[in-house]
Amino acid sequence: MYRGREGQWAFYLHRISGIAIILFLALHVTEISSSMFGPKWFNALLKFEENPIFGLGLVGVAALVLYHALNGLRIILMDFTSWGVKLQRQLWYAVWVVYVILGFPMLFIMLKHVFVGGA
Amino acid sequence: MMAFRARRLEEAKRLSTSNLELLWWVFMRVSGVLLVFLVLGHLYTRAVLLNFHHDLTYDVVARNMSTVTWKFYNWLLLFLSILHGTNGLRYSIDDYLPSPRARVWVKVIVYTLVFLVTVFGTLSLWAWNYTPVR
Ligand code: HEM
Repeated sequence: MYRGREGQWAFYLHRISGIAIILFLALHVTEISSSMFGPKWFNALLKFEENPIFGLGLVGVAALVLYHALNGLRIILMDFTSWGVKLQRQLWYAVWVVYVILGFPMLFIMLKHVFVGGA
Repeated sequence: MMAFRARRLEEAKRLSTSNLELLWWVFMRVSGVLLVFLVLGHLYTRAVLLNFHHDLTYDVVARNMSTVTWKFYNWLLLFLSILHGTNGLRYSIDDYLPSPRARVWVKVIVYTLVFLVTVFGTLSLWAWNYTPVR
């Protein structure tokens, strides 16, 4: 199955992030789709979500998504290439390097939206 | 039909208990690659370029969802992530629920909820008309 300690961590994180994302997706689709009920209802709902708790929640989901996407690519490389299996440990560290490079600006901008933006 | 955990395509072929199960294994990878672009694109346009916390309004959402390109984009995103995520959830249910009875019930409930969410999301993308207020 998975060899080594990194692989075990990678697996649990991948599983937990995947489950968290599908739960979020269900709520998110319901929320956005309820715009069908018209501007009055929908703008009231958005007003309720102005609480920073919701903004921070989205930042958290984005962080999970970014990990799941990058580690998912690592899994796919290991599954379809022979060098991917040989370099799986290195690929795991590469995931985190890319995670920081993409994630840091994203985190910064999203936090700015939550705490400083707005008309 | 049991979910299995393989590390290579050849291994997946050997371990799969049915063609359908192998198909799901391949689907998880193919949809994964597509979702990288769709999901990260969604995050970039909706959470980075747009101030998702303060500037999101009915008009922004409605305008977006009445554009054919975005209808397609969002619909593909919805379908792929629902199928990918629900199949992933099935792997966990099979792994952690030993009792066959409990498994069936949890799956019935999960699939029903997923189905309702998908119908609701699809309706909101296709079955309404938006006339811009401004
Ligand atoms: C962004 C791009 C994504 C990539 C590259 C990706 C890739 C993968 C891969 C390769 C697997 C392993 C499948 C297997 O073990 O056979 C997986 C599992 C999973 N994914 Fe994704 N995925 C992505 C997005 C998503 C999204 C948006 C969701 C939720 C809606 C999601 C939910 C899951 C779940 C629940 C699992 C099962 C975890 C497990 O069994 O351990 N994924 N993903």
